[in-house]
Amino acid sequence: MASARPKAFLSGLGLTWKWQRLVWWVFAVCLVLAFCAASGSIGRLGDGINHSLASKRLVDGFEISAIAELASAPDAPLQASNTSSTAYTFIFLIFMLFSTGGILSTYVRDEYPSTSVFFEACGYHFWRFLRLMLWLLVALIPVGIVAAVGGAMYGHLDEAKISPFPAVHAAEGTAIVVVFLLMVVRLWFDMAQVIAVFEDEKRMHKALRLAAVLVAQNFLSLFWLYFRISFIGVLLFAAGLHIWMMTLAPTATVLAFVVSQLMILFWIGTRMWQRASEALWYRDYRATQEAMQPVWTPAPTPVIEPVVVAVDPATT
Amino acid sequence: MRFGRLTCGFVGILALSAAAAAQSPAVVAAAKTPLPSVKMDETQKGGEKTLSVRVVAYNIDAKLDPVKHTIDATETLEYLNLTGQPQQTFPFHLYLNAFQPQSTFMTEVHRSGTRGNGPGSGWDPLHYGSIEVKHLESDGVDLTSQMQFIHPDDDNTQDKTVFQVTLPKPVPPGGTAKFSFTFHDILPEVVERTGYKRDFDMVGQWFPKVGVWWKNAWNCHQFHASTEFFADFGTFDVKITLPRNEVVGAAGDLVDRHDNPDGSMTLHYSSQDVHDFSWAASPSFTRVEDRWQGSAQPVQIIVLISPGNMSSAQRYVQAIKGSLTMFDKWYGPYPYDRITLIDPPHGGEDAGGMEYPTLITGDTSWNMPKGILLPEIVTEHEFGHQYWYGMVATNEFEEAWLDEGINSYTEVKVMDALYGRNSFANLPFAQMSEDQAQRLMYLSDPDTDPIARLGWKFYSNNAYGAVTYGKTATMLLTLEKIIGEDTMRNALHTYFMRYRFTHPTGTDFINTVEEVSGRDLKWYFNQAVYGTQMMDYEVSNAHSDPLKWWESSIGSNKDAVYRTYVSVRRTGDFQFPVDLVVKFDDGSSATEHWDGQDRWMRYQYDRKAKVVSAEIDPQNQVMMDRNWFNNSYTVEADARATHKMRNIFVFASEWLSQVLAWLT
Repeated sequence: MASARPKAFLSGLGLTWKWQRLVWWVFAVCLVLAFCAASGSIGRLGDGINHSLASKRLVDGFEISAIAELASAPDAPLQASNTSSTAYTFIFLIFMLFSTGGILSTYVRDEYPSTSVFFEACGYHFWRFLRLMLWLLVALIPVGIVAAVGGAMYGHLDEAKISPFPAVHAAEGTAIVVVFLLMVVRLWFDMAQVIAVFEDEKRMHKALRLAAVLVAQNFLSLFWLYFRISFIGVLLFAAGLHIWMMTLAPTATVLAFVVSQLMILFWIGTRMWQRASEALWYRDYRATQEAMQPVWTPAPTPVIEPVVVAVDPATT
Repeated sequence: MRFGRLTCGFVGILALSAAAAAQSPAVVAAAKTPLPSVKMDETQKGGEKTLSVRVVAYNIDAKLDPVKHTIDATETLEYLNLTGQPQQTFPFHLYLNAFQPQSTFMTEVHRSGTRGNGPGSGWDPLHYGSIEVKHLESDGVDLTSQMQFIHPDDDNTQDKTVFQVTLPKPVPPGGTAKFSFTFHDILPEVVERTGYKRDFDMVGQWFPKVGVWWKNAWNCHQFHASTEFFADFGTFDVKITLPRNEVVGAAGDLVDRHDNPDGSMTLHYSSQDVHDFSWAASPSFTRVEDRWQGSAQPVQIIVLISPGNMSSAQRYVQAIKGSLTMFDKWYGPYPYDRITLIDPPHGGEDAGGMEYPTLITGDTSWNMPKGILLPEIVTEHEFGHQYWYGMVATNEFEEAWLDEGINSYTEVKVMDALYGRNSFANLPFAQMSEDQAQRLMYLSDPDTDPIARLGWKFYSNNAYGAVTYGKTATMLLTLEKIIGEDTMRNALHTYFMRYRFTHPTGTDFINTVEEVSGRDLKWYFNQAVYGTQMMDYEVSNAHSDPLKWWESSIGSNKDAVYRTYVSVRRTGDFQFPVDLVVKFDDGSSATEHWDGQDRWMRYQYDRKAKVVSAEIDPQNQVMMDRNWFNNSYTVEADARATHKMRNIFVFASEWLSQVLAWLT
């Protein structure tokens, strides 16, 4: 599949690299919040096992029973504080909602943003993007319905068919369709955000409408751009998971931490790459559109020819 | 029966992971100590040598309607009165009537769940099942109208799982009572290991079965949510008529097959010295066969695989062979010439993990990873029941620990021998051993009920499972610490050889263990089997101070003597002797043996070395100890495990954040 604007893919990567401080910043916030989320449980856990020889069951391997035993112990050192964990996750959600405006502004302008300019952009777009997120939740309802229909189809086939595979294939098919729809919806909303920033569009329903038309008219180009980067992100994540789970020695705690954080870093990086590519794509698109506009030239000033009026001397 | 939903829970989680490396079965050498010789008791009956005292002789002629999932059958039962007294009133089980909304079974399920996936707390009409005796006569006398439903365990007059009938005249001691039934079964959609799923029919507990005269009374309990079965040994001669395209697995030798003019076939099965007969049929089964040579005779292995599960066929076969080998070597010979495994189809898993004499049901799925040993575990467990239930036919209603608990213990031993240490889950990134799986089940509800409790009297189904399976296995694994593994194996061998084809009790088992070990173990069994005491030991502190702590130069004095205190506590009520190992920084160590009678003990050492660590039960043999993490104390903290767990927590939190941030 050929891209109508092949530059956006690699230029987006270049732009992400150029403004990599944004990636690092998001990653750092994510990491700090995750540490905060884990601190309560881990503190209790440390009190319970740091002076115990039984902790080797977790160091030299990963004994499921040791985890379960810790979770079921009377003082429950491993019982995660779900409320606090969820709270930190929501803080990150708000943070991302806030910072997306600044990030997109940076990509759209491709200029070094001073702190004040960056946060001004963040605040400027915050309520717009909040409204967009609410619209997104509405847009996800049909996707949920498709997933539910797929689930019901799976249940029906699983119940009715002698072989388990028709149901399995139905589930696989549903998963592919749902993932495809999720990508399309996200792409649509990504472009709406870009339009909101680029055009300073205040009305989000209009931004969504424009983005829908834009995505529909340039679907292959945009989806291919989005899909390729998503694929790379998933591939990197899977590779990291494979290394962590299958390759690293159970005792390699530091390496495991590095690998797991690289997975998150790359995940954030690829998401920012998508943002940057989409911004570049739109900038390019607008430039092309403007170039194709017929240049207005003022109509030539009518030259008034001197009218030669024949004067009949006889009549004068 | 496998109390398998804990297993499935783990499998459900772990099955999402990547396929794991295969584990090659490796049979570990058996016990070094020779097994004691116990003579096989063979019973003479009419000059014929039989393995069991044959009390019952069933002749059943059944016809399956695979579309309606119903069975119409006639049954004759000859009951040999060996009770030593005249018998006139006989009780019978009608187990299939449990699957009705007002039955005791469903009432208990509604209250506190069931053993398997089960019908849940709600009622699904598809789970309706019944057995209706249309006609009953004895010696030509019609007794149909004399049938009276009884409810020996509760006041539920709506329960129809037991009836009794009184004969016109008593049957004298040594005499034979003959009953003739005509009955109609409606199979439920698979529930509690019985019923149909699409074209699959699992036919268990499907005919009127007489109670057992035991402890000088009739023993014929209602069917409960958490109980199983109890029956006398005898013979079964069963004819099954069904369509010719059906593939049948049955708990008997196929002695004849007859093709009927109407397109059906009649299969004739015969089985001796067993106490039940079940069968399964499906046109979709694929039959896999193998053979195994035991010390008694060759055994035919038949595995009927459901569609999609062929990848598990050889796993089943190898597990059966391995189990046959280990049981034959450790506990005694397998006396039957066959063993059949039924693999339930997808959606019919609730028929899985069940035992009948010479017929068991497995549990797998089309995508079962090799690192999850569920098919092997279930196969081993159900095969183990051929010994602990099939031959040593204890009362599963009243002393479920004797079959499920002992079987869970031998499951640990055999699985470890066949598949190595991580015989429950063996994935590259996570492992679990069988003994730990049993211990976890025990820890899920360790002290609600004593092990020796009537099966239907447990607080909940979880308590029943945790105590009957997990706690009993853990209790026996801990018993190894006292009497030794070889002695334990010898005790089980003796118990099996002595009580096979009989109905022993818990007292018989305990007496056998005491006899073989030569020790009085009542102090242990009284706490572990008949009590609910919790066991938990901890090292509460270990530290060293200079003996002359008031001298300021002590830090630079290499010959300084340190006084070390190690304090240990028994935080539970279960008294058990434990070993304590104290290690010092000069490489020396001290081992203490504490009888655990007091609540705490403090040990004191004066050495030119400081304490490094103190540990109770360093070999982790005391499996009943509730918390192993407080069994040791190291002076220097080692936070590697905490760091590892932090990695996982942090990553999980970050990933969750990223998923949620997708919305922005």
